[in-house]
Amino acid sequence: MRRAAAVLVLCSALAAGSLAAQVPRFLSADAGVSRVRFRSVVPGGGEVMTGVEAGVHVRALLGAVSVEVAYGQGRLSADTGLATPRDLVNGSFFLALQPASWLALKVGPHARAYVATGGTERWMLWESRARADGAIIPGMLQVHAEGWLSLSSDVNVAPGAAGARGGEIGLTLRPPQSLVWARLGYAVDQAKLKGGARTETVEMVVLAVGVGGR
Amino acid sequence: MRCAAAALAVALLLGAALARTALAQTPAERLARGVRAYQGLDYDSAAAMLRAALESGAAGAGTLGDSDRVRALAYLAATEFFRENRDSAAAAFGRLVRLDPRYRPDQLVFPPEVSSLFQEVRLGTRAAIITAPPLTTIVSAGDRLVLWVHATSYHQADVTLLRGNGVPVRSLYSGGIGDSLQILWDGRTATGAVPEAGAYVVRVDSRAADGRVSWSVDLPLEVARLGADTLRIPPPPPDSLFLPERTVVGRGTRALVTGLAAAATAVLLPSLVAGGSAGMGERFAVAGALGVAGVVGFQYQRHPQPIAANIAANRALRSPWERQADSVRAENAGRLRVVRLQIRAGASRVAGAP
Repeated sequence: MRRAAAVLVLCSALAAGSLAAQVPRFLSADAGVSRVRFRSVVPGGGEVMTGVEAGVHVRALLGAVSVEVAYGQGRLSADTGLATPRDLVNGSFFLALQPASWLALKVGPHARAYVATGGTERWMLWESRARADGAIIPGMLQVHAEGWLSLSSDVNVAPGAAGARGGEIGLTLRPPQSLVWARLGYAVDQAKLKGGARTETVEMVVLAVGVGGR
Repeated sequence: MRCAAAALAVALLLGAALARTALAQTPAERLARGVRAYQGLDYDSAAAMLRAALESGAAGAGTLGDSDRVRALAYLAATEFFRENRDSAAAAFGRLVRLDPRYRPDQLVFPPEVSSLFQEVRLGTRAAIITAPPLTTIVSAGDRLVLWVHATSYHQADVTLLRGNGVPVRSLYSGGIGDSLQILWDGRTATGAVPEAGAYVVRVDSRAADGRVSWSVDLPLEVARLGADTLRIPPPPPDSLFLPERTVVGRGTRALVTGLAAAATAVLLPSLVAGGSAGMGERFAVAGALGVAGVVGFQYQRHPQPIAANIAANRALRSPWERQADSVRAENAGRLRVVRLQIRAGASRVAGAP
């Protein structure tokens, strides 16, 4: 899985240059790999797993409204202990409104699954997100911060979902006059089951290469 | 002897009275009285009245127009013919044809012998007049000043454009002239240059059989250069539409604060979102990158730096206007190269006579 992710990022970087000229200004896409750390805490114990996820993210901007679709898939294995290795799958679809050039408000579904040989744990979250962008060097170096909160949550594990929240901070580097850019980010997402039965925290450090508009 | 003296005195008094009466009349009235006297076969009175009408202009008491002057000369010539003063009649006809070469006696008014004398005089006179429209504008290459030369009879003539001081500018025609001749001037000198603004004269020199100039008439021209009608250069896009092309000094601190704040957020994010979680160590790499980015931004923006994206956007905004302005400038340059002339023509006047 790690090898596949590395190949994906490399191919993305190589293809980005030639794709850049063909991507419309209202469209942007990136592909990258994430270092993932999954931590599950239950009363009296828990488990930590790490792995790598490869993902793509596409964004279409239509004036002040944009649509974002993301998909990622990776493999987690036990960092310590005897936890069963599992696949991690993330998918989301967000509708975003940009009331100011530096601010975007998003809403949409976010699905997450942990696929193991013994069964699959599926989360379905409706999230509201707020993202702020700020320039360190205008047109070249940009930071962003994003926070989210689940509006509703569902999981196929008893006693049921009790909500989720998360945040992300990152940096985007875009060479002058270029449609190709690189993104480095760190995201934390925590979901809880009812009654404090379990808390699952997913952390990701993502490195992606993208083309097109911001 | 006394009777003779008395008769002379009466005659003088009557003459003085008649002269005072004649002076009191206008030239037009004298012409009318002269014509009536001619029609009444009172040729002596007709001759006196017609001469008075023709000469009254010199006395300053009004003058006849050209058409009345032609009419007066025709009647005077006929009158002198019937007074058997053939030379005087020929002289009157000579003045008439020089004044209006196109004149022909009315066969219903004047008998054939008078017309014959007129034809004889006309054919023996070598003179011409020249006319032009009062105002002519030469704007494009095809525009011309139209000059008409009317001759009394066929003869050789030279038509020349002169400066007001008599310096020749261009020969317009040299050759024979029959009844009439149209001459076109394109508004250029002999070298093809555009003449300076000022007073000019078109002179017609009629030549006798021996080649000497027997008659000259001038047509005064006033040439003016008109300013070219150029297009207005379109205004540039307003400054408010342009983006700043250089970074603002002082934003370096803001970049540093932003970068450091983002770095701190990366470090603290696990605590903020998942309280109690230690967080993964790789986040420090992200925090470090954010902190370094802030420092780089701080250094980068200590001095104004060109903002490539804004420069490109401004160029895209400015380029259509620059293309349009260049197009207008080229059009105006072309228009300024075309010199427009306005030519005012006066009435022809005799410049030289034998």
